[in-house]
Formats: sequence, C-alpha cells, structure tokens
Amino acid sequence: MDTLLLLALNGLIWGLIIALIALGLSIIFGLLDIINIAHGDFFMVGTVMAWFTLELTGNFWAAFLVVPLIGFILGALIQRIVIQPIRNVAALTIVATFGLSLILQESVRITFGTTPRRILPPIQATFPVFGINYELYRLFAALVAIVALAGFFVFLHRTKLGTWMRAVRHDRETAIAMGVPAQRVYVLTFGIGFALAALGGVVAAPITTVEFRTGVDILPFCFMAVIIGGLGNLPGTAAAAVLLAFLEGIIQSFADPTIARISSLVLMSAVLLVRPQGLFKGLAK
Amino acid sequence: MITPHIISRAMLIAFVAFLIAAPWLIPAILNGFWVSVIAEIMIWSLFAASVNLLFGYVGLLSFGQALYFGFGMYGVAIGIATLGLSFWPAFGLGVFAAVAIALLSGIFAVRLTWHYFAIITVVFSLIFYFLAVSVKPLTGGDDGINFTLPPVFSIGDVTGSFSDANFQYFFILATVSLCFFLMHRVIQSPLGKALVAIRDNDVRAALIGLNVYQLRLIAFVMAGFLAGVSGALFAFFGRYASASYMFYHVSGEAVVWAIVGGVGTLFGPIVGTTLFIVIRELVSTHWEHHALIVGVMAILVVILAPKGLVGLWNEGLVRWCARAEATSARTDLQTEP
Repeated sequence: MDTLLLLALNGLIWGLIIALIALGLSIIFGLLDIINIAHGDFFMVGTVMAWFTLELTGNFWAAFLVVPLIGFILGALIQRIVIQPIRNVAALTIVATFGLSLILQESVRITFGTTPRRILPPIQATFPVFGINYELYRLFAALVAIVALAGFFVFLHRTKLGTWMRAVRHDRETAIAMGVPAQRVYVLTFGIGFALAALGGVVAAPITTVEFRTGVDILPFCFMAVIIGGLGNLPGTAAAAVLLAFLEGIIQSFADPTIARISSLVLMSAVLLVRPQGLFKGLAK
Repeated sequence: MITPHIISRAMLIAFVAFLIAAPWLIPAILNGFWVSVIAEIMIWSLFAASVNLLFGYVGLLSFGQALYFGFGMYGVAIGIATLGLSFWPAFGLGVFAAVAIALLSGIFAVRLTWHYFAIITVVFSLIFYFLAVSVKPLTGGDDGINFTLPPVFSIGDVTGSFSDANFQYFFILATVSLCFFLMHRVIQSPLGKALVAIRDNDVRAALIGLNVYQLRLIAFVMAGFLAGVSGALFAFFGRYASASYMFYHVSGEAVVWAIVGGVGTLFGPIVGTTLFIVIRELVSTHWEHHALIVGVMAILVVILAPKGLVGLWNEGLVRWCARAEATSARTDLQTEP
C-alpha cells in the first residue's frame, strides 16, 4: 500500500512537470498548427542548460531564471529563422522540427557529451512519508510547476499579450484586421513554448538524469497529454498530464513500466478514435 | 525537339543502366563497399516510397511506417530463426505480417485525417515498439535476432544465396524495381487517380461517388506492403532484426527523405534517401555527428525547395526547355507536355 501511494505521489509530481512541457507543446500546436517534434528536445536542452549553469556558477537556483530566458530567446529565433518561411505548410514544419530535433541532440552530444549525469537536488532535506524518507526537493518541484502553470494562465487571460495570443488562435484574420501583430504573436508563442519546456527541464533536472536522449523519451508522453486533454485545450492538457503520470505511477506499482506506457498509449488511441476533441471537451469553458 | 519528357526518359534509362552496371562499375572506380551502400539505399528508398504513397498521393502523413517495416523484418527473422523456415516462406511471412498489421491498424487509423492521422500512426507504432522491447523471448528486444540466411533457391548444383554479393545486389534491385513498377502502375490506374482526387479534395471525391474510407484503407495497406517488403529485404540484407528499427525516429527519417526528395513524384523518395545515406556514409567515418548535417539539410531543403529536390528539378527543367524553345524562335504550335 505504501509503495502504491509513493508511486502515485511520484506520478503526480512528474505529471505536474509534464504538464508544464505539454502546455508549451499545446500552445505551439494550437496557435501555429505545428506538430513540434523537437519539443522533447527543448525539455532536454533545459536540463542540460541547468547542468551548465550549476557548473559555471555553482548555483542551481540561478538556472530557474537564466534557462527559461535563454529558452525564450532560442525559441523566438527558431520561429523567426526556421518556422516563419514555411509556416503555412504543415508537412514541411514537421520535417523542419524533426531536423531541429536532430540539430539540438547533436549539439548537446558535441558540447555536453554522451554520458548521462545526475544533479544533486539543491534542497537536500528529506521528510518521512509512507515509510520512507522522501526528498523535499520533489515537493518544491511540484510547487514550482504549479506556480508556473498558474502564472501562465494568468498571463494568458489577464495581460494584453495573452489576449493577443488567444485572439490569433481564435481567428487569425479578424485578429490581424483588429490590429493584432500576428507575426510577433507567433514569435512570442514559440518563445514561450520553448521557455516552458526549458523550465520543465530545470525543475526535472535533479529528479531525472541529464543526457541528450531524455527528449526522445518524454515527447510521446507530452503528446499523449495534449491529445487526451484535447488539442489546444490548455487546462485539459495540464489535467491530462497529471492524470496520465498518476495512472502510470499506479500501474507501475504492480506491472512493468513498459506495460504502463503501453496502457497509456492504448488509452490515447481510444481517445483519438472516440473523442478526438479530448476527454474534457465540454467540461472546460 | 527536346521536351522535359524526353530528358526525363533519357535520365531514367541512364539511371537503370547505372544500377545494372554498378556491381562492376563501382569497384573499378571506388571500392566494393559502395555497392552494398547502393543496395541499402534501394531498400530504404522503398521504405520512403511507402511514406510517399500515403502522403504524396493520398494526402495522409504517416509517422508510423516503421511499424510495418519492423513487422516485415521480424516476420523474416522469426520465420528463419525460430520457425526454421526456408527463404521464400520467411519472405512471405514477413510481408504477410506487415500487410496484416497494416490492415488491422489501417481500419482504425484511416478514420482520422491530417494531424490526428499522423499522431495515431505514431501511437500504433510506439505500442508495438514497446511490446517488441518487452517480449524479449520472441523478439530479442533491443539486442534483436541474428540468423543465418538459407539459400534463395537451389536447383541441382546451382545455388543462389545472399552470401554471393552480386546475387544479393541483383535480388534487391529486382525486388525494389518490381515494387516501384507496381506502384507506378497503381498510380497510373483509375485507382491511383481516385487516390489523387481524395488528396486534392476529399469532400469533392466523396461527392462524385468515391468511397473515401475504403480507398484510403487500400492505400494504407499498399503502403504497409511496400514498407513490409523493404523491412523483409533489410532483414535479409543485415541477417538481423531489432526492435530499434520500429522506433518513431525511423519513421521520421523516412518522412524526411520523402519530403526532401519530393513527395508526389515517383523518384522523390529515391533522391532524398540517396542524398541522406550518401552523406551519412561519407561523413560518419570522419565525424560522428553526421546527424547535425542531416538536420541542417532537412531544414534548408524545406525552406529553399518546398516541393523537394525533384520538384525543384522539374520546375527548372520545364523553365529551361521553355527558354530553349523560345530562343529557337519556332512558330509551330506546341502542345504542353
């Protein structure tokens, strides 16, 4: 029973981090209509940059500020240079993001190397729960994820930029006619998408390993969250990420992790076929 | 009068002549290693062609063709290593397995289109990838299955087997050519025209009485067949099958090859595949980060030549011929090629 609760708790925390990454994927999809295959690698680049920040400054906390900022700039540049010229042809953007994914992975292999590394949690304290000493950092990670998610929704609904983003997504032509600078909104959206994934990377770096392959593993999971939550349905995406990781955590307590992954993939196919608008259509308004 | 059609025909003949002469020509000017690279390129071109058939002619972007490639591969490997089959039954098993799973997954997948289709094909391939990794006794997981290849045929004293490099080359050339020829015939047939009609406008296609769902399913199974044959050939070629070939990165590479080469053209996938595999072979011995070049090339081609390299070539050819015609100052009425 204790193991079950523990895995469920792990799943919940991991789900909150995934929600952060999947949210970036979802806004890029919803606004730019791009299936971003490089998104997992944005996360991976976040973990690697967190590692470099720690190496260079000796201070992990700096990464929480610096890495999302670099991520934002990188994302904006990528949108401007790579995505903008082919924005209207979805098939080409898939190829371009696939190329981007290769470039990011190889760049990390060249600079960071291929050996997986670990970062010690910046909060070393533990506390007893369900019969073991649980890392306090994980709770902190969950807190950061919740604050970032809440902050993003506030940004989306309470600021001018956020309103522009929603307007362009809702009806691009009308938004442009009303004077919304759609071009800049696209750059902004891609930047924020990258920044969210990079922040997820920083938060997750002390929990998972830091290596060039993590993005490939995490990408299917993020897509599952986006699909099950409903394409472009942001609260649904966040909820689905938490739900999925929680379920996988529970299944892992009595079966192989691969079985857990297969069951969520099967769940995702069912959702795609039966309710392509996502599980939460109609609930979120 | 030189028309684009004549130039294309001449290039096709030169290309076929080159492929037939390659086992003797290439060792004379480079070395024998490149003959097997050409064989590998042919196999992967067929795989890229399966993406092209779906995306270029039906408008469905599949990101999961590696699943059918993997089934073709495993059908052969399990047939030979576990069931002890000889060459042709194992070949048949591989292709049959690929077609069967394509039919099964196609029944569900082609109900969706566009983004949803792309995603569900990845999901299906991932499900079977994870299954293949976890069912180690049957599939060998990531380590894969190694096997020794039985001879293709033996009549009296004459034995044909893949241990003879030239036999292997021509077997692959013949099989791949046959598949491309079949694909060409299908595209030229009324069925192919119906598929293109669906690609261009599925609502209109339905309105003129085409059964869109059924036609998409047929195309999906045919693409599964092409991918299955290429997977089976690759298993023969490497005497090996592994779950890693079912991962979505393999599907993704085929999509890149097809789109960079030019979708909706018969030769696009061949051009794209050749380009990337030649780069890989040239660079990977000197520099381990050749994937960086692949990524940069993929991005450059989609930005600079959105119709792919073959599309670019065709446009250039038509323009060049038009100019040549204009300068020859003929006033005859010319029909469009």
